[in-house]
Amino acid sequence: MQAFVFFWLAGLVFLLGSLLAFFSKEALRRKVGLAMTVVGFVSLLATPWTLSFSPSSAFGHLLGSVLGPSVLLAVGFYQIAFSGHVPVGRLSKQDRLLGVVMVIVGVVWFEAMHWWSLTPTYPSGVNPYWLIFWPTMLLFGFATATGAFAFVGVVGDRRVREQRLMLVVAGFFLTLMVLGATSDGPSIVRERFVSELLLSAADLFGVLVGASAAVVLFILVVLVYERQQPEPTTLAPPTAEQLERATATVAHHISGGKEA
Amino acid sequence: MNGSSPNRTLVRLSAWSLLPSVGFIVILWWFTQPSVEGALVRFVNSMLTSFTLFSFMLLVVLFTYGDARKRPIAPMVGVFAMVAISTGLTVFFLSQGNFLMEANASVRAQYLSNIIRFGTTVAAILVSSVAVGGTLLASILNSPPKVIHFEEE
Repeated sequence: MQAFVFFWLAGLVFLLGSLLAFFSKEALRRKVGLAMTVVGFVSLLATPWTLSFSPSSAFGHLLGSVLGPSVLLAVGFYQIAFSGHVPVGRLSKQDRLLGVVMVIVGVVWFEAMHWWSLTPTYPSGVNPYWLIFWPTMLLFGFATATGAFAFVGVVGDRRVREQRLMLVVAGFFLTLMVLGATSDGPSIVRERFVSELLLSAADLFGVLVGASAAVVLFILVVLVYERQQPEPTTLAPPTAEQLERATATVAHHISGGKEA
Repeated sequence: MNGSSPNRTLVRLSAWSLLPSVGFIVILWWFTQPSVEGALVRFVNSMLTSFTLFSFMLLVVLFTYGDARKRPIAPMVGVFAMVAISTGLTVFFLSQGNFLMEANASVRAQYLSNIIRFGTTVAAILVSSVAVGGTLLASILNSPPKVIHFEEE
């Protein structure tokens, strides 16, 4: 019962809340969604204390462990991006510097979780979900960076610098995977890392195939529904009086309110 | 956007996203020859869980999207059927002996374990997307503004 309330119900509240907060058009519902997201997330984070007897609490421990570097990365990139060439609300150069420091600390923190003594340990060994999280993050980061390289080439105009940067990011993720597969860390040996990386690949492809199938079926269901709807009623053409009024309004706007 | 057709562009983007990773995984497997026992089971479990949970999320999205329409019932029933069928299929496959069972004692425990693993995978996807997307956005917004030169008339 305790596990249901503090973990599963909290997870459901978090999921429903975040979807409501993102997609609802009503302001009140968005606020309720945000509150649900916060309550659900805090309850999940607290599971190492509220559900210390349950194996599910390792997931809450993982979330707590990666929260710090993730927030540093997100806020750091925000600071760097919005201190650039944005027309309004540009942040200062100090904010940009702070952002760079936050990103560097975030990256070093993540690295220390594999290569140093900061590896999430719960309850006595390495947190089992960290062994899923870290290889999945590296592999997906590599795939996203190579995808972004092509995307920038297709959509962007004269974006060679960004393409090169995406290659550097992809190379960074690739290097981390190769290093993990060839060198032992203090808590994770290379054989374990390789087998977890391959299992993460299986997980990732499973998620991609499942999600794609769900989206395709969703589109089909909505398409079938929309096709069954009656044609919207066609309006009568505008009368001479309506056309005259429209002409006057357009002329008024074009002339800036002055008499022509 | 470049002049190539949308289908070719989509194929190109998919190839750039998938092939380097697949190539790396194949090379890694080739050189290290690790035991990949359980990879197929992980793939199938992950696929079924992802399908079920994404269908559920799309159902909620459809509900919230209904704010802008007259909250149509028919597509919601359709998506709800998707969720119900995928949940039923997952439970059915998990109940077939040890086909999809991992180190869990019961079907319920396996199903709940799949959901937590899905959550972990999604968390990893989000963090790496922040890292790659953040780098790209920061670079684009810090590039010098592009000047458009109009030809003199």
